[in-house]
Amino acid sequence: MSTSQFGTPIENDTEAVVVVGSGAGGGTVAYELTRRGVPCVVLEAGAWLKPEDYENDEWAAFNQMAWLDQRTTSGSWRVSRDFPNLPAWIVKAVGGSTTHWSGATPRFHEHEFKTRTYYGDVEGANLLDWPITLAEMEPYYDKAEIAMGSTHRHGRPPLPANNNYKVFANGAEKVGYKYYATGPYATNAEPYDGRPASIQDGFNFQGDKSTAKWSTAVREIPRAVESGKCDLRTQCQAVQVTHDAQGRANAVLYVDSEGTLHRQAASVVCVAGNSIESPRLLLMSASGLHPDGLANSSGQVGRNYMRHLTASAYARFDRDVRMYRGETMAGIIADEARLDTSRGFVGGYYMETLSLGVPFLAAFVDPGTWGREFTEVMDAYARTAGMWIVGEDMPQESNRVTLNAGVLDPFGLPAPDVHFDDHPNDVAMREHAWGRADLLYESVGADATHRTPPYPSTHNLGTCRMSERPEDGVVGRYGEAHDVPGLFVSDGSQMTTGASANPTLTIVALAIRQAEHIADRLGKGEL
Amino acid sequence: MADLKPALVSLLRAAYPHPSFPDAPYERTADTILGQLDEDLWHRLALEHGLANLDTEALADPHSEAASAYLRSIEDAEFFAFVRGVTVVTLYNDHEVWDLLGYEGASYDKGGYVERGFDDLDWLPDPRIEEYDGPDALQPVADADQPTAKA
Repeated sequence: MSTSQFGTPIENDTEAVVVVGSGAGGGTVAYELTRRGVPCVVLEAGAWLKPEDYENDEWAAFNQMAWLDQRTTSGSWRVSRDFPNLPAWIVKAVGGSTTHWSGATPRFHEHEFKTRTYYGDVEGANLLDWPITLAEMEPYYDKAEIAMGSTHRHGRPPLPANNNYKVFANGAEKVGYKYYATGPYATNAEPYDGRPASIQDGFNFQGDKSTAKWSTAVREIPRAVESGKCDLRTQCQAVQVTHDAQGRANAVLYVDSEGTLHRQAASVVCVAGNSIESPRLLLMSASGLHPDGLANSSGQVGRNYMRHLTASAYARFDRDVRMYRGETMAGIIADEARLDTSRGFVGGYYMETLSLGVPFLAAFVDPGTWGREFTEVMDAYARTAGMWIVGEDMPQESNRVTLNAGVLDPFGLPAPDVHFDDHPNDVAMREHAWGRADLLYESVGADATHRTPPYPSTHNLGTCRMSERPEDGVVGRYGEAHDVPGLFVSDGSQMTTGASANPTLTIVALAIRQAEHIADRLGKGEL
Repeated sequence: MADLKPALVSLLRAAYPHPSFPDAPYERTADTILGQLDEDLWHRLALEHGLANLDTEALADPHSEAASAYLRSIEDAEFFAFVRGVTVVTLYNDHEVWDLLGYEGASYDKGGYVERGFDDLDWLPDPRIEEYDGPDALQPVADADQPTAKA
């Protein structure tokens, strides 16, 4: 496939809002602006895969949509050993990583916007309170849940219990957990918003052929393209954001699939390339005015890279579970998603049902293992139940995305390097979570539980963080760069801290809020 | 070139021992590995030399402790690491292996699993699917962790 244009063309020298990326952040900003009549050019590095294109086959889909451009890793995290060129498991396609997300939509807690206040001075952690509060976010959480069709919210019914959930929820009850349910998940339990109810066909990580699962590829982007205000250009990768003599963002340079460089004039630039590509783009946009990278007077661009705690547990039983039948994720336990330092760490974590097929379980259950220890796990596949653990990891200045000038991408641009070391708090939380998973599964008769290390990162956060003061972070309370008027960051990289919740709902809520702010200021002639 | 396949199959059977598996999936995986040798001289050199010198007698019974001990002794050899890297994404992507392990794969074209057993587990009671609505609201912050408690 090659560069394609969708929607209503906008001239390259016509100043528009230029949105880099079409995932949870970029897709939402583009939709919210175009429906208010604001013209947007959306630059998407990947192709537009349609539901009929999605492959219900784990490796085929991975090779179809995963972001596989050259990346490098460093640091002590195990991903760097097992998957040295795959630090993150994200999507390069219209819809970005909402194409393969699982759909969990918990909100942040109030205290998770104020971690410096609540957690105190944690050694080695670069904690900071967000400049915004839960109270400010609540109306936008409502809008995001309604847009995405979250179950258990705003009158949406719950998903039914699948086999994996039956094991998970019975275990939760046995160990005394209370706050478990089949959601909230942004997958339709009944028809909603023009999309059908789940047929329990699984393969959420491979795009959802039935479209029961929300993504910007099936909701926001098609609507933006039909608005008459959106020019979507696929397989166009942004490579630089430029500014004028006054320091205002004024254009985006991008490369098409033929390798040709183009310039799109911009009134506003919204960067939403996920937390590796967004800081990479700013670092590649250094200028005389911004010698350390665009919008980087704080030195925080690329730093405080977070990836959530993550771990998994797979339990073997003596009877069939068949976890793969039904939605990949459709169960959540919130009891541990709280601050209680008597457990030996700050922050909290969710437990969420998770199923992998045979191909991915083999690759990820314990990368590199072989022999009977490994094949025993695989032989028990049909009798296995699984969960994912997602919790808050500590922002650390040394965990960062940098340009690796020694490794070039196909365009000849420096590849991003992702450096990560676990913080001791992350390690303590992971051990606690594995222990609780063992107890939960043992309470319903598990023969054995396997502790699976983190997969390549799906929740990439924090590399352009939001701060009250310009010296503490990259963007302010609406995601606008402290240093560069007209430059906004619209994805999860603006997160000051990561909280325990899956990030997509919060990214969408922030993007709805940001788009409202941009439209308001454009309307007043302030941008 | 000597036929490398028999030695490679015996290596695969011992490194990934599944009592229920016939030879066919291992043979197909061996074909995939050997098919990649033309792409990479380093792997060709390593694999040809490694397999030519493999102690196939030690691997005669793939489920034996002798086989396991021998494989541990060559764990760090380049050719064995290469074999494992390809095998883990090939053997377990083999549809006969899916059948043997009880994985049914894609279901969209069959209407999903909604009428085909997504909730047929019957050895545990049906759990609650709604959120808890009892008297004890989740307390997001323990009393001792309130900032005022620390001050």
